[in-house]
Amino acid sequence: MARDATTWEAYSPSAKNPWDIKKVGHLYRRAGFGATHAELLQGVTDGHEKTIAKLLNGTAADPDFDRTSEFMASERSMPAGTAGVQLAAWWLDRMIRSPHPLREKIALFWHNHFATSIAKVANARYMLGQYRLVYTHALGSFRELLREMSFDPAMLIWLDAKESKKGKPNENYARELMELFSLGIGHYTEGDIREAAKAFTGYDVKYGKMTFTEKEHDGSSKSVLGKSGDFKGADIVEICLAQAACPRFLTRKLYAYLVSDTDVPTAEELEPLAQMYKASGYENGKLVETILRSNRFFSSAVYRTKVKAPVDFAVGIVRGLEGNVGPLNLANAMASLGQVLFAPPSVKGWDGGAAWLNAQTLLFRQNLALSLTSTEDTRFGRRCDPVVVLAKHAKATDADAVSFFLDVFLQGDVAPDARTKLLDYLAKSKTAKYPPFWSAEEVQQHRMRTVAHLTLTLPEFQLA
Amino acid sequence: MTNRRSFLKSSTLLGFGGTVPTFLGRAAHAAPAAGKPGAKDTILVVVQLTGGNDGLNTVIPFKDELYYKHRPTIAIPKDKIFGLKNGLGLHPSFAPVGRLLNDRAAACIVQGVGYPNPDQSHFRSMDIWHAASTAENLTEGWIGKALKAKSMPAFHLAAGNEIAPLALSGAPARVPSITSLDDFQLRTGGANGKDNQAQKKIIEDVAKGDSPMGPPNLLDFVRRTATNTYESTERLQQIGKTYEPKVPYPTSAFAGRLKLTAQLIDAGLGARIFYVSLDGFDTHAGQGSLTGSHANLLETVSASISAFYRDLAERGNGDRVCVMTFSEFGRRAKENGSHGTDHGSGAPMFLVGGKVKAGIVGEHPSLAKLEDGNLVHAIDFRQVYATVLDKWLGLDATAILGKSYKTLDLFA
Repeated sequence: MARDATTWEAYSPSAKNPWDIKKVGHLYRRAGFGATHAELLQGVTDGHEKTIAKLLNGTAADPDFDRTSEFMASERSMPAGTAGVQLAAWWLDRMIRSPHPLREKIALFWHNHFATSIAKVANARYMLGQYRLVYTHALGSFRELLREMSFDPAMLIWLDAKESKKGKPNENYARELMELFSLGIGHYTEGDIREAAKAFTGYDVKYGKMTFTEKEHDGSSKSVLGKSGDFKGADIVEICLAQAACPRFLTRKLYAYLVSDTDVPTAEELEPLAQMYKASGYENGKLVETILRSNRFFSSAVYRTKVKAPVDFAVGIVRGLEGNVGPLNLANAMASLGQVLFAPPSVKGWDGGAAWLNAQTLLFRQNLALSLTSTEDTRFGRRCDPVVVLAKHAKATDADAVSFFLDVFLQGDVAPDARTKLLDYLAKSKTAKYPPFWSAEEVQQHRMRTVAHLTLTLPEFQLA
Repeated sequence: MTNRRSFLKSSTLLGFGGTVPTFLGRAAHAAPAAGKPGAKDTILVVVQLTGGNDGLNTVIPFKDELYYKHRPTIAIPKDKIFGLKNGLGLHPSFAPVGRLLNDRAAACIVQGVGYPNPDQSHFRSMDIWHAASTAENLTEGWIGKALKAKSMPAFHLAAGNEIAPLALSGAPARVPSITSLDDFQLRTGGANGKDNQAQKKIIEDVAKGDSPMGPPNLLDFVRRTATNTYESTERLQQIGKTYEPKVPYPTSAFAGRLKLTAQLIDAGLGARIFYVSLDGFDTHAGQGSLTGSHANLLETVSASISAFYRDLAERGNGDRVCVMTFSEFGRRAKENGSHGTDHGSGAPMFLVGGKVKAGIVGEHPSLAKLEDGNLVHAIDFRQVYATVLDKWLGLDATAILGKSYKTLDLFA
């Protein structure tokens, strides 16, 4: 286990810790939304350097994808009154098809970090504007992101900054800026919040743009985190960014997101990352890259130590089956799984980790897996068909099919009895009774779709 | 070194599985300390009377001549009133709840409930009741917030095409809307029953499967959650087949939803909140008096709630349950020209349960001092919510409602 000085050094394969299909799968789950069969094989062939670089930089832009996604996000397609679920569908489609899944994955990290919900903002254009902000800076500068986020129309509405006027400041934004967006509890006082709130007076949203009204701004001198001056909002952001707690807070959160729900690094272990992040001027891409390349990231201690978020689960299935589902139906299914994009449950975002799974959400995950693998479900029909994927990859026998699905979804890494049980099912179902009107081909297809569904219900598949 | 098997076994004893699965959440170990409200896994059943129940023809000030003056064709004759002990009466169709109050000390009436500047739109006023707020944009429900404060299993027992109420939104995971027990089962795509069974068995077996040796980890957690889930759904299907109510329920769909609630409670799944609605209270025309459409609605509500309570009481769960009814508003004091009533304001709420403090809380709104023809509220509905949250479910009502409301004396 890489817990020594080499923990953040770049991983290189060894006899003890080789580069294999499990590593490729691990990387694609954490730095994306899961791999396709082709991506897994390519990753093994390409080796670790090339594969990690591919995830970090994305593959060549796909003009067709960009154009379609842009068009779908135009004001004509998605006016202000568009329902949240349509926005969620739009993003899910990007997660499924983007040539640069890491950027979507980190954009999702920031979406969860700033946790703004359309339920209060009630304007799809503003929400889309905030998406663009987190997407633009996903792998760019956190400094820029936090500066712009502080005056983002959706955020101004979400945290009541637009209600905040001289003489009656609203503390909501100032509080969450420190508690949730930059420092974490314990690194500021209530006095800092009250003072900072004065700096955030006078801002509003008009015609979709942030406005600043001098006479509604409290121009008096404020004292925040040891600094004094007639600060405006942007000054408070800089003061927060200058705190030692800021890079530590963000590094820890990003580590949990990319690496592990259960492995909690000590402050000493994280310090080099936090220092590097701060020294880089909060370059997110650099921090993400260091983590994803590290010995720690590829160590057995963090393998499968995350519960998949609902989007990881659903998008992973669609990608693995190379499906082309209607994203709106997928988005509609996500509420029962506990994650509606653009509508996090509170300003804290989704709790994540073990909290993703309970009897309800697990049941609906398993039933969604059935809907996606069966062709009987009217929402997804044949748009995501295990039979088609098997044919495409010329997997003809029962043993081939079991290996194929276990490889795509779990890189073959399951308890031996799970594989045996799947093969047993296929053996027994060969001679089972079927409706007399089913053709031999239909029986075969039924068996293949079933084994795909059963693979997805394995407990290991819930973990990223 | 502890091996996995013994870890799984001991974790079962810690309340993860066995008789009380962690259904939908962490109910089993989230229970408050004994002695605190909510310690005994209390249950709240919210009954929504959709459309605006005519409170004045439900709890009736029959000794007040103004009542008969305001309502010449729809008033309930004095001699037909079901008498309560303090000079008030109930519509005779509401007698089943009246008997719970008079004979079993298991019902409470809160009179004159409403909120300032009442809104007379069904939708707006319903949203206000659901969100427990009169803010402009209402996006989260009071129950959703309660579930956020404390993860508890909850169910919405829905009519055929009824969507999830705003009251439940904001919960960490969507509260399942179920119309029958079939909604809550593990689905498989088998060609026939035998195939389905074979598939289910695999899914259940692989969930139980043993992991390699090592310290307990996240995979164990998934296995445990999965196994508990499958056991729970299995049990739900079983109780569906074997549940025999201790008292007969009426045949209405509404009674069926309460019966399903009783089944879910009896299954011991740890569910704490249930939400049930009955539509049709928008009685603008020909609402009837002793008989008629409003009388039928009251009969449906009260007979069903009474059967539900008595069924639960027979099973020893009477003291665990509190049924709370509400409607988005009451109706105009004076009847209209169509022998009906228009949208009003202040109206009564009912609480039913073994630990409910039997009696009447608050004064009946004056029939002389009307506001725009409407009864004036004296008790804010959020006082009732706060009491239920605080004294019954054992939650921080102020944090959930965003403001402190004076609680009422509703529980014994």
